[in-house]
Amino acid sequence: MRIKINNIEFESPLLTASGTYGYGHEVQDLVKVNEWGGIITKSVTRHPREGNPPPRISETSSGMLNSIGLANLGVDKYCKEIIPFLNKLKTRVIINIAGSAIEDYLETMDILESGNGKHVGYEINISCPNVKKGGMEFGVSTSMTEKLTLEMRRRTKRLLIMKLGPNVTRIEDIAKAAETGGADALSAINSVVGMAIDIKSRKPKLYTNYGGLSGPAIKPIAIANVHKVFNAVNIPIIGIGGVATVSDVIEFLLAGASLVQIGTMCYQNPNLGPQMKDELSQYLKSQGIDDLCELIGGVESHSN
Amino acid sequence: MICNEMGRVIFNKEISEGIYKTAFDAPLISSCSLPGQFINILPEPNWNQVMRRPMSIASQGNDQISIIYKAIGGGTYIMADWKIGEMVDLIGPLGNYWKGYEATFPILIGGGVGIAPILNLHHDLLEKNIEHILIMGARNGKEHFLQHKPEKQIYMSTDDGSLGIKGNVVDAVQCIYPTQNLPGNAKIFSCGPPLMMESVRSYSLKNQLKCDLALETIMACGIGICQGCTIERKVDTQVKHSYRSRFALSCMDGPIFSAEEIISCE
Repeated sequence: MRIKINNIEFESPLLTASGTYGYGHEVQDLVKVNEWGGIITKSVTRHPREGNPPPRISETSSGMLNSIGLANLGVDKYCKEIIPFLNKLKTRVIINIAGSAIEDYLETMDILESGNGKHVGYEINISCPNVKKGGMEFGVSTSMTEKLTLEMRRRTKRLLIMKLGPNVTRIEDIAKAAETGGADALSAINSVVGMAIDIKSRKPKLYTNYGGLSGPAIKPIAIANVHKVFNAVNIPIIGIGGVATVSDVIEFLLAGASLVQIGTMCYQNPNLGPQMKDELSQYLKSQGIDDLCELIGGVESHSN
Repeated sequence: MICNEMGRVIFNKEISEGIYKTAFDAPLISSCSLPGQFINILPEPNWNQVMRRPMSIASQGNDQISIIYKAIGGGTYIMADWKIGEMVDLIGPLGNYWKGYEATFPILIGGGVGIAPILNLHHDLLEKNIEHILIMGARNGKEHFLQHKPEKQIYMSTDDGSLGIKGNVVDAVQCIYPTQNLPGNAKIFSCGPPLMMESVRSYSLKNQLKCDLALETIMACGIGICQGCTIERKVDTQVKHSYRSRFALSCMDGPIFSAEEIISCE
């Protein structure tokens, strides 16, 4: 079940998706944190952010809309309060960084690089649909994506993973730009722009009107995007979007993902990753699959 | 300590129109729960929705906990259908709890789906021999499952006057205690539908009464991760606020907030 990205080995292909697991310390009573292949922490930004006004979430069919707005305590406090906890974990830690200008991303990374964190990499959020400025404006532009990736590549030897969103015309182009910039891997996909309206009050159910749709409802969108990216680049892909079962994991691997993140369904079951780890190894045994790698990109597409 | 425990359903009945009570055998959660806290419930295994259903704890002790809820949608319909012996995935206890009632004269006000944490506090105060009054509001008598017993300081109010005092819960307080007669150390503890809570909040502010409110919000994780269940606090809008100062999390900083600290219950 071990998967390697560059020289970093993951004990299980199941990682937590950013924003759905906090920083890990919130759930330590409840969850076998170290049974996850890795933890991708909630986005951290250069300065603390209070996030968007309520309502921030709304349940939809097999999914939910959110517009949290990257509420977080800022990188300075993060280094003091969160890194010491993360350093004690046995599982792989990847720190998710977000920003509203290129300097924000770079400064945040500089501060993290100068600290004593034992994290193995960074996931760069260039596709958050919920902040007015930033995030998504990088992720929709090939030149900005390449530039940001290049600048970050210069600053770190750790794994550099760019997180792509589906709210673009051609995700393949953004993926190629990140690859050219020097990314080690790509995460796909971030949440899908969505809206829900209360028919009684005629008001959108989220304060920000639009939000990011996540959960099983977006899985087919994610699978298609992973498959497109897989056909466009030669670096590993981390699949995200509505994973709830072992068969979902297999589906992502077949579409081209090397690792898989579990997000929204962690709200329903914070122990989903550890539970699925056992189920996945049983499934592989039952199917006579010795190495997960043989599944990656194994979809037999119709030739038309 | 937050536990993820499979609770065994030992009681599940409609106790008044559309309102259900469920009791679970759940020794872990029961042993560490306090009145005012809540649990987050997965209505059934392999549920196709992503959010659990947060429910206030109505009672705890003897290895058991109970909840009281209105069957209004997909999740609560499944709950209303639970059979005795069924095992249900529960996370709890979560959130803060009722406090600051010592040396006060507590006025407990509950309504609609907010009766559970108020009943819990009522029983706690009875056990602690703290004199208080209990007011429960509903649209009509059918929605009530308690008796109107003024001699025991238990009052029912109904919008249509079919049981107890006619009017809403604030009308009931004013009927029981015309403003000048309010005990000096009176403090309100309340939980109910947003509109009711907002009128309780404005009544308490107008009369300079201390008041704690257990708020209901849309909630996903219940454990401080998703940052979705925000309650807006009163702060200086000119100042740039930091993480969780202006937007508190109902699951971690609440669900109980004081009337003065929040902007609104709606």
